[in-house]
Amino acid sequence: MFPTAHFIFLGAILFSIGITIVVVKRNMIIVLLGIELMLNASVLNLVAFNQIHPQHIDGQMFGLFVIVIAVCEAAVGLAIIIQVYRYYQTSIPEDVNELGERG
Amino acid sequence: MPFVSFLISFIISEKYSWILSFIAPFLSLLSAFGAVVVLIETWNEQPIAMHWNWFSVAGIQFTAGILIDNLSALMLMIVTLISFLVHVYSTGYMAGDSNIRTYFGMLGFFTFAMLGIVVAGNLLLIFIFWELVGFSSYMLIGHWQYKPEAADAAKRAFIFNRIGDTGFLISLMVLWTTCGTFDLNALASQPLSQTWSSVAALGIFCGVAGKSAQFPLFSWLPKAMEGPTPVSALIHAATMVAAGVFLLARVFFLLTPVVLDIIIIAGSITALAGALAALAQVDIKRILAFSTISQLGLMVMAIGAGSPSAAILHLFAHAFFKACLFLSAGAVIHTLHQAQHQSHMDFDVQDIRNLGGLRKKLPFTFFMFVISGAALAGLPLFTGFASKEAILDVIILWKGPVMTWRWLILVSAFGVTFLTAVYTFRMIWGIFYGKENATAGLTVSEAPPVMRAPMFLLAVACIWIGISINPLDYNGWIYNGLHPGKDFHFNFLAPLSAGWVALALWIAYWSKERSFSSSLLLNAFHTDRLINAIIERPAFQLAGISSRFDKKWIDGVLHTAAYLQLIVAHVTGWVDRGLVDGSVNAIAWMTKELGSFTRSFQGGKIQLYIFWTVFTIIIFIIWTLL
Repeated sequence: MFPTAHFIFLGAILFSIGITIVVVKRNMIIVLLGIELMLNASVLNLVAFNQIHPQHIDGQMFGLFVIVIAVCEAAVGLAIIIQVYRYYQTSIPEDVNELGERG
Repeated sequence: MPFVSFLISFIISEKYSWILSFIAPFLSLLSAFGAVVVLIETWNEQPIAMHWNWFSVAGIQFTAGILIDNLSALMLMIVTLISFLVHVYSTGYMAGDSNIRTYFGMLGFFTFAMLGIVVAGNLLLIFIFWELVGFSSYMLIGHWQYKPEAADAAKRAFIFNRIGDTGFLISLMVLWTTCGTFDLNALASQPLSQTWSSVAALGIFCGVAGKSAQFPLFSWLPKAMEGPTPVSALIHAATMVAAGVFLLARVFFLLTPVVLDIIIIAGSITALAGALAALAQVDIKRILAFSTISQLGLMVMAIGAGSPSAAILHLFAHAFFKACLFLSAGAVIHTLHQAQHQSHMDFDVQDIRNLGGLRKKLPFTFFMFVISGAALAGLPLFTGFASKEAILDVIILWKGPVMTWRWLILVSAFGVTFLTAVYTFRMIWGIFYGKENATAGLTVSEAPPVMRAPMFLLAVACIWIGISINPLDYNGWIYNGLHPGKDFHFNFLAPLSAGWVALALWIAYWSKERSFSSSLLLNAFHTDRLINAIIERPAFQLAGISSRFDKKWIDGVLHTAAYLQLIVAHVTGWVDRGLVDGSVNAIAWMTKELGSFTRSFQGGKIQLYIFWTVFTIIIFIIWTLL
């Protein structure tokens, strides 16, 4: 049995890596991957905290739910990326700046 | 009355200016009547003195007043009578002049100012009228202002008078500070320290020297002959130049022995210089002008010798015979001008070298000229004889029994009377006897009656009866009225001076063909040049120095100041641009930077949004945890 702190550290590291990818990476698909990582980090936290109260299954239920949502989100996200690519002929978010001022 | 005439001549339009030639003489006739009435009323009576408050400055009351005693009543009569005659004469002489309106206006104004001097009982009032007289004489001398000589002469007369008036003004200030009053009666009764009295008297004499053409300020009078001849008769024979002598007689109580000595010396220099200069002149009017100067010198001598009454007696006599002489000379000039006009000849009618033999052509004028000339020369039976005798009398008395420099004065007085006779008769011979020179071909007719009548009246006034019944004695009504009490008379004087004049006549007859052409005398001893050397050149040098000073220092200071100001302006400009504009610009720049800084958050870059969101959340979490 691993102590809960290990899971929390792992979750925090995963989340940090995910957010770093989201902020730093230029490709949208990789950004989507970063988002998946962050989701997985949160799921890991949910499952880890559920371990403290074994008689409840709320945490695991929420974990499943998040995985389902993440699948949907990945599907929708990929679809949006494809549409954006079709429209702008690029998958780099910095080039998609219609709301910003014209350089 | 003359003032009314002056006003009328300004009101009346150019078109009706001929009316003036009736109104102006009429008004002056009225005033002459008034003056005669005043004379009869007040003669030998108590002097009338009235005064009323005029204005007050800083609590000090200034009074204005009139004072009519024998002296001023006599002067009133002289001034108004001669003014009236000159008015009448002018209607003939000035007929056809384009500026007759101004002429009569100024004539009236002059008479008004002159009467003001005579009746004023207050030195300040006298000074004011004194200035008015100077101004109107300036206007009258320069009446033909298109002639440059006339304009120049008017300026010269004005400036010389002004130089004298400075002295008058100074003495007024001295009197005011020492006595606190200008009233003549109050001044006479006030004891005054010797020094201040001398200073004040000297100042007044300075004014008199300017007005009465005394040495060294006499060179304006011959120049002033550029004016119309009636003006010369009125101003330069009878009234204005006499104003100075009158003033001296008025303030006689102020004159201290030192001042009297100065006055008599100045008077004798003037008299001698004038008489000598008159010998050499060739212009009729200039001869008369120099003779006026020398006669005025005689009057001033009489005052200096301590007898204002003798001076006024001579003034009285001189006013009439000199006015008559001027009017006769004017008649000669006028008639010759007209004759010249008809025959288209051109020569200077005032130059006696061009004249001669006019006795037959102008018998009336000749007669008048001889009578008044005899009075001027001091022949017995004429007024000039009696009045000059009075003057010689007082000078003999004044010189004392001991031989001093005063005998020189006496000798010069005798010399002046001698020279007077010589130049007068030389002039008469030059004009009326001898061969006709330039006038030979002219048909000359006598002056119109309107000019002859005043001449005749004035000539009548030259007869001895005007002064006293006895032709050889000057103690008539005028002299006794002016000078009650003291009586002195040198019996030997009358025959002596008669013989003296006869000698002069003989000399004149003997020398009539010769001419004294001395440039020294012709230019009146170069007084003008002397004045130039003494006053004008230093004045110019002073002007040069001050102009250099001006350029170097004042301009220098100005330039430095301007330069400094420029520097200050630069500094200010720099401050303005650097600090004021700078701060404004800095604020604008900060706003802009702030704006672009805030704008940079909304650059449309999704990942940046996310970054900032996360950043903020982390900060928020740290904030809450701590």
